[in-house]
Amino acid sequence: MQPHEMEDMLFSFPSSQESQDGVDDESDLLDELPGEEYDSDIDLWEEENTQNLLLPPTPDASLDEDILDEFENAVQLADEIQGTTTGTVKNRDWVIARVEGLIEGILDGLLAGDSELSISLKTRSGISRRDSFQSKQTERAPHPRTRKISFPGSNGQEAWRFTVLVKILQLVHECLIEDVVASKRDLYYRHPDLFVKQSVVDRFVDDLACTLGIPRALLNVTAAAKGLVAGNFTLVRADGTIIHGLNVNEGMLLPNVNSSDTLDISSVQWVIIVEKEATFRHLAKGYPDVSTRTFLQHIADRSPEVRMFAVVDYDPDGIAIMSTYKYGSHRLAHENKTNDDTGGPNLRNLHWLGVHSHHLFRIPQEECAPAITANPNAQGLLRLSPRDRTKACRMLEWDLCTEDGPETDWRRQLQRMLMLNIKAEIQILEESSDGLVAWLEEEIGARDFGKQP
Amino acid sequence: MSKQYLTLHTLTSAHPSDIFALAPKKTRLLSASGASSINIYDTTQSDFPLVQTLENAHPLGIHHLVTAREAQRAASAGFEGKVKIWSAEGENGEWSLDGEIVDGNKPGDVWAIALSADGNYLASSSINGKVNVWALDQQGMPKIREYETKGSFGLCVDLSADGRFTASGHENGSIYIFNNDTSRLSHSVAGLVHPVRSVAFSPASKLLAAAGDARIIALYDVNSGEQVANLTGHGGWVLSVDWSDTGEYLLSASHDSKAKIWRIETRTCVATHSHGDKPLWSAKWLPKVAGRSEMFALGGGNQNIAFYREAAG
Repeated sequence: MQPHEMEDMLFSFPSSQESQDGVDDESDLLDELPGEEYDSDIDLWEEENTQNLLLPPTPDASLDEDILDEFENAVQLADEIQGTTTGTVKNRDWVIARVEGLIEGILDGLLAGDSELSISLKTRSGISRRDSFQSKQTERAPHPRTRKISFPGSNGQEAWRFTVLVKILQLVHECLIEDVVASKRDLYYRHPDLFVKQSVVDRFVDDLACTLGIPRALLNVTAAAKGLVAGNFTLVRADGTIIHGLNVNEGMLLPNVNSSDTLDISSVQWVIIVEKEATFRHLAKGYPDVSTRTFLQHIADRSPEVRMFAVVDYDPDGIAIMSTYKYGSHRLAHENKTNDDTGGPNLRNLHWLGVHSHHLFRIPQEECAPAITANPNAQGLLRLSPRDRTKACRMLEWDLCTEDGPETDWRRQLQRMLMLNIKAEIQILEESSDGLVAWLEEEIGARDFGKQP
Repeated sequence: MSKQYLTLHTLTSAHPSDIFALAPKKTRLLSASGASSINIYDTTQSDFPLVQTLENAHPLGIHHLVTAREAQRAASAGFEGKVKIWSAEGENGEWSLDGEIVDGNKPGDVWAIALSADGNYLASSSINGKVNVWALDQQGMPKIREYETKGSFGLCVDLSADGRFTASGHENGSIYIFNNDTSRLSHSVAGLVHPVRSVAFSPASKLLAAAGDARIIALYDVNSGEQVANLTGHGGWVLSVDWSDTGEYLLSASHDSKAKIWRIETRTCVATHSHGDKPLWSAKWLPKVAGRSEMFALGGGNQNIAFYREAAG
């Protein structure tokens, strides 16, 4: 592959992206919080980046865990402001209680020997964009319709629908209880025979969110995984299908590796995990989804000699994203729980390749005296936003980042960002010496030195 | 004409993290870093021994630490957002906590800090461009001045030795001088376009030095607001400037780990020293002591504190 091709893969952006407002602003979230139904806005959360591209496995951001995190914080904050306990505030505990309530209702019906079991779902599917638009003018979400899902129902179709719903309730409940985020695609692959097609899962999950009057993110379910992978591996499916990781020019969606499949990574010496965020910085920050992490975990478990490197933006989110790969949910890390026993994907041997602060100043002086630009589209150094600064300070409170913690380098880099008030995207490496590919060769080569025979 | 400065002593791994600030007193040097403690060294002994540690002063690390020139007072600002005031009984006394700045201050509002020579006033800059002054000798340490600017992040601040002026340097390159007597903006001087990371009044309060990403050190006349000189020579962002007691020399530190000494009279660089290959966050003259040649200290990303003295003759 030619360097420019790789760079195209890494840095080209899709041309069509819908624009959206800053949903991650905590105050915005706070405004819309208590109990409102705002599906039409929330749907935007799942559109984000249609493309993250990476060479070796890349994360993608479907749901931004961080947004969820902040959303929860906002919920708690709203809670405090209202001076109430949960009640009307829809946080994770509330959602768990509601999901359990639905399941309990079914159990009660079974115990009571009811001849028919049913759950009423609210749905907005089938409501046209035009309707949505008009309702937006009046600042109200379109009114949902209600449909009843019954068992055994009048035909096999109805019975199947009910079964699907109960299965989804169970899977969502699992995600919530374990506090992990799954993609709709993850859910589909749990029971493809039952669900038949992806759109079935999508619809039921959205209807469930609609019924509870919450954004889908609060169900801990994200849009489908979009992490891409390319590399010298072969995946042989149980049915004999062979997938070659080098045959795809622009990377392929992360394949789901089933226990009956054979993944041959004997030619793989290292994996580079690249954060590539979408155009909408504030919405899609490249936080990895479960399937991306699971794929990497699969490699790490079977081939511990394969070295894993992270290339992330030089900003608080870049480090937070890396921490999600390395330790799983940073919220768990923050609470000082280890994931070793609970089995959440983590890559404890992940090495931070860049971007580090010292990379920022390697640019030849005569060419580019690094100057901070106010234009966020220009490549080079950027200023931290107030949100970045708040986030960096919050991360310094993580157990991982204490002065005696395991990640003193993260602490140091976060502090330097705050001191200089700068950040930079991965693209800045393109300007160093001979471009990104040369930079990668140099950095990985430097780490190889003395390690390999 | 160049001057010779010799390395006197180096405290290796003085802190387990980047040293962000050095703050000298007559017989002591206080240092702060990305770690939580403030270290205090005895500068009268040849091995500069650590004589006191203020443990856990700021758990998330300390970004600014300053001392009052004429009083036994210090102030520190931490990444958790608090500003703490410290004092000691006498030149060789133990340092202890006096209190925190709370009046009109939300945690995180304060970034850079400066103390007046008598230690009675603390000035601060903030991320939203506001510049405030607190009276530390009054009950509750009240906020007594609030200066508005155009909202660009105030990266640095200083108070003149006579207490009459506050100066601030901002991310957008602007530099302001406020008159504390009238509570008014005195001058909005022709700035440096690039972020200004350090401002310092000369001991006689006649000149203001300002420097930052423009890599030049600009000197301004405090009364007129006119720029009177440009000191050029640094290859990296200038992170720190400090006047010698007499006002004859200026010491500067840059992100490319170089320290430079400038003779103000001739506006020339008379010495350059390297401090490893990491950012040099702080370079400070030690107060002049009779019978001792001029000394300064450097601290930065290599975690060492190095002491230099002027070569005799």
